[in-house]
Amino acid sequence: MSAVGQIVSGRVSSILIREKSGEKIELGDLLVVDEKDGYLILKVFDLLYGSQVPQAARELLAGMELEGHGEAVDFLEPELRSYVLAEVKAIARVTNRGELRIPKTLPGFFKSVRLISEKDLGFLTKPPCPVYLGRVRSGSKVLNVDVFLNGLDVFTHHVLIPATTGRGKSNLVKVMLWSVVGENNFGVLVLDPHDEYYGRHGKGLKDHPKAKGNVFYFSSNPVPGTNTLVVNLKSIKPSHFEGIIDFTDAQWDAIKIYYNTYGEDWISSIVSGIKVESVAPRTVDVLQRKFNNALGVYMDDSGVLQCRSRAFSDTAGESTIGEIIRLLEEGRIVILDTSRLLDQAELLIGSIVVEGIFNRYQQYKSTGELDDKPVITIVIEEAPRVLGSDVLTSMGENVYSTVAREGRKFKVGLIAVTQLTSLIPRTILANMNTKIIMGNEMAPERRAIIDSAAQDLSEENRTIASLDKGEAIISSNFTKFAIPIQVPLFEEYIKNYEERSEEDDRESTVFIG
Amino acid sequence: MYSFAHISDCHLGANRDPFLRSLEIEAFNRAMDECVRRRVDFVLITGDLFHSNIPDLGVANEAVKKMSEVAASGIPIYVIYGSHDYSPNETSLVDILSSANLFRKVVRGEVKNGKLKLHFFQDPKTGAKIAGISARRLGIERKYFEMLDRESLEKEAGFKIFAFHSAVTELKPDYLTHMVSVPLSYFPRGFNYLAGGHIHQHLIRKVDGYGTVAYPGALFAGYPRDLEDTAKGVRRGFLIVSFRDDVENVEFVEVPGPEYLYFEYDATGKNSTRVAEDLETKAGELPVENRIVLMKIAGEMSGGNTSDINFMELRNTLMRRGALYVGINRHGLTTREYGAVTTMAEDVGEVERKLFRENIGAVKVSVDSLRGDAGAKLAVELLSVLRQSQKAGETKKDYEARMLREAIHLLKLEEAFQG
Repeated sequence: MSAVGQIVSGRVSSILIREKSGEKIELGDLLVVDEKDGYLILKVFDLLYGSQVPQAARELLAGMELEGHGEAVDFLEPELRSYVLAEVKAIARVTNRGELRIPKTLPGFFKSVRLISEKDLGFLTKPPCPVYLGRVRSGSKVLNVDVFLNGLDVFTHHVLIPATTGRGKSNLVKVMLWSVVGENNFGVLVLDPHDEYYGRHGKGLKDHPKAKGNVFYFSSNPVPGTNTLVVNLKSIKPSHFEGIIDFTDAQWDAIKIYYNTYGEDWISSIVSGIKVESVAPRTVDVLQRKFNNALGVYMDDSGVLQCRSRAFSDTAGESTIGEIIRLLEEGRIVILDTSRLLDQAELLIGSIVVEGIFNRYQQYKSTGELDDKPVITIVIEEAPRVLGSDVLTSMGENVYSTVAREGRKFKVGLIAVTQLTSLIPRTILANMNTKIIMGNEMAPERRAIIDSAAQDLSEENRTIASLDKGEAIISSNFTKFAIPIQVPLFEEYIKNYEERSEEDDRESTVFIG
Repeated sequence: MYSFAHISDCHLGANRDPFLRSLEIEAFNRAMDECVRRRVDFVLITGDLFHSNIPDLGVANEAVKKMSEVAASGIPIYVIYGSHDYSPNETSLVDILSSANLFRKVVRGEVKNGKLKLHFFQDPKTGAKIAGISARRLGIERKYFEMLDRESLEKEAGFKIFAFHSAVTELKPDYLTHMVSVPLSYFPRGFNYLAGGHIHQHLIRKVDGYGTVAYPGALFAGYPRDLEDTAKGVRRGFLIVSFRDDVENVEFVEVPGPEYLYFEYDATGKNSTRVAEDLETKAGELPVENRIVLMKIAGEMSGGNTSDINFMELRNTLMRRGALYVGINRHGLTTREYGAVTTMAEDVGEVERKLFRENIGAVKVSVDSLRGDAGAKLAVELLSVLRQSQKAGETKKDYEARMLREAIHLLKLEEAFQG
């Protein structure tokens, strides 16, 4: 391939390349320097002008052009005297044997550089248990090289997807999940506050050829064939509220008394106003109000327990949580449509499921069965709601933060989606070993992302700010360098898959009455 | 005001013990007599009237006599298949009795353009319209639900009953989490009454958009677990539904049986001699007279063997002291010295699934699809394929070839067996 530039100076953290006239090196471009025993991959992180003409002369010449003192005036041999300089950093060295190493030496001085080609990325092979993320991107050019990560590694060690609104976070998660539908190595729980993953109103995971039996949708307003999201109040223990709803000490005491007295009927007892001697009536009133506000449960005029969102019941949904946990353990994708629920109700239902699965996996570890179990990952949008420093400080730890800190020991991980990375404590960010970074204009957020990335992204600040919709950088403990990618548009991506064959044998089904 | 009786899961012929068998038919007779006494307008049996497609003919004879009496008193009986009394390969007694006009099968429909269109049966006296879906083994009826043309059912006017023999996912009790079920969203909306069978505990729920959803539960006991539940306080009986344009009342009518005594013994940490002594003492003390006695003995003993405990003698002692029947559940009893493979579950399918799951780790294979949950699931499916009996008129050779073909297909080994 022809050269696009030549190394002219610099240091390890910033190598300067002069761009060849007529070429257009872009911010984020991947360049290659060929060496005797392999090649070096460089990434452009800044561009600047260079010129042999003194500044005063350039200013004078510009003035002459602008003021009409000679339109034909130009520099002598302009392609030699004025040019673009690219600031680059070496990100990977590939040996002739295809081994990938972190570069520890500079490339040869004055060496020419070329744009990366698909052939140069032959080391990006499809791992076992692959999760698809997109194609390698060099600047704004998308190469025909697919990027997969090993889901067993990545999901266990948590994934953070930081970006501002509209940069394609949900699209990325949909693409990732689509690629693992039917791969029963992973159980995925999606808390879906925008009801966008299943595809109730458009394309979604339901359209996957293997969706039947692998993608399960729970909604308080289910479509035919899907499950009602209804949780029996008996499934809820006081511990499920920890870190989700802020109770005072007196309220916690009252809750414990009711739980000890009425067991699994403790919430119904509080909501229906059953009196307990050692609990002040005012405390019960406040608890009733809190349950009403958070869960939407209250007693109607005829003394029947009602739930505004229909997500909680004292008569139905006894096996819902068990069913969800069973499906996750079987390696299915379970989508909980929480779009009709209040924030706290959504987090509470998630908390019940997550605690259930976490406890079971802890048990499996102790009995030596964990190796046979699929990795569980939990997709949670607006993650600071449960992982934010302020929440953890004011309400204490919750099951999500426990999973973030300890989940990997038990094959349970998080896919945390957020606009506000800076709100998540560094200790938790440090545990999120894969970050799929999308565009972000907010400097403090970029700083928090860069500071906790698996690779040194200190030079990527500007690049992250300039990432367009669908463009991302993967920084992971499971990649040798930060890989720039283009995530395909979900609707386009799924066109590669055959339409689901319309219930094949329906015509031949014989009905027996 | 009209009324009908909703009965389900009689499981006639389930119990081998003569005493339990007599209670089984007695419960059925009592329920039928109560229907006549209360002058219900019809009886609807939502599956598993019999425990198998061809039950013990002595039991069948008793049931036929009683149903004839009911029919003769002018009360029609409507029936759907359950998961037990239907067989894909052989004629069921339900078919024979239906042909003899003892009762009427009310599930009718046809598959057209990939949709299942159900036809209503209308009770001539009350005008109640009944449609439904019978059960098939291993929950295959779910496919019918998937294909169901709900719109045509929802459009029908009048008092409508939907009869089915499946667990509704949202209403399954916690302990039936693993039971194959059908989500409520598959059911047609706008019916007045969803008459269910298959769940063995009675349950009545009002569900927005779906009317009253009800299960009468087992009339007596199809499984030892039912006996245990009864002993723990679960009431057995059936439902009487009063209606005009809509359901006015659903009454649970208890069919009382003898008294029960339930006793649990934890053998953990005790040796077999101590356990035997304790049980002997208990057998002499417990108030067992005129009671069905159910004992659950579980735990890991510190020494000795389970065979050191004379369960036969324990049973005899309790019977001598006046117990009506003694059931000893010792599936959970193990010793440190001899580990046993035991499992408890609601039905045979569930036991198989659990056993495969618990023991598949002992089989070392390199093929992923044969390991873990996937392997256990495949094993259960293979077992269900191989369990099929020879069809009427099928030669042994054809039968063997069919078994082989279906097993190869299930294991996705067609290529390996080609040529």
